[in-house]
Amino acid sequence: MLRYQENNELHRDFHGTTNTTLDYIAEHYGEDALKTILRKTGHDVYKSIREKLEKGDASELIEHLTWFFHREGAEFNLSVRENEIRFECLECPAHKHLKKLGLKISPFSCLQTLEVNKGMCEGTPWVASVEHLGDDHCVQVFRRKAER
Amino acid sequence: MIPSDHFVRFYNEVFKFLDEKNGLQAYYEEISRHQELHCLKEFQEKGLQGVYDYYVKIRKEENCDLDLILNGHELILKMNKCPSLSKALDNDAGACRKYCLHCPGWTCGIYRKAGLYQVYALMGLDDPQCCEWIYDDLKAAEAKYRELAAVTPPDELFASFPPPA
Repeated sequence: MLRYQENNELHRDFHGTTNTTLDYIAEHYGEDALKTILRKTGHDVYKSIREKLEKGDASELIEHLTWFFHREGAEFNLSVRENEIRFECLECPAHKHLKKLGLKISPFSCLQTLEVNKGMCEGTPWVASVEHLGDDHCVQVFRRKAER
Repeated sequence: MIPSDHFVRFYNEVFKFLDEKNGLQAYYEEISRHQELHCLKEFQEKGLQGVYDYYVKIRKEENCDLDLILNGHELILKMNKCPSLSKALDNDAGACRKYCLHCPGWTCGIYRKAGLYQVYALMGLDDPQCCEWIYDDLKAAEAKYRELAAVTPPDELFASFPPPA
């Protein structure tokens, strides 16, 4: 079950504010500071997902990805195996909206996905990575670490 | 991608970071410049009616419980339940204690550029309500500021113009 269950109107212009913020933090405080904020967002805001991952339960993570990308109107493919979850987004809804607004996409845009996901996985048996297949096309990967 | 539904909770983490660096004000100014894209032209060309029209759209998209009252040279934005602070509070990361300051922080620059005058009364971090009064006449804005200053804690009252004595 999702901890945050938004199901009403969407304000997609927030992607523009995120884009501006990514550039601003990186420019004024450095890329490492930006990573710290994003990682902390993943770790603290998505505490519920992280705590389930700690117990080996990826159900809320899967529900989170599918629900919020569905709400953003994204086309995606999801593949769930015991030790690997692959979430392929064919066209990033944030990038799509930024283009509609005529904004230059931040070079740190994809970092938000990677670092937030890493934050969600911190201290859990899961490791997050992102495979970039195109400017707006990626696969978010969550792999369970091999048991020692 | 941080979902637009969850932008507020990311914003809240940015505020916490910047507050520690004493960097909130400069960031608000950057956001204000960014927001010009969305509303400055409308505010400049249509004045209070432009602000009213912009917030009709925002009220819908951001799911605000917001009363918009346009009385000639005065526009009142009465936020009965702020969706932004509500999300920051409904958040396992906890709300930044200065969360609400971003609103007057970014809007005042836009109003100045549009030749409008804003008086903003916050109502505290735990209460997702606030009220702002916007005027196209400085004297009316100063009168509202004086009226509110008599009954409002100074750290909860903001103006987009130099506060009158």
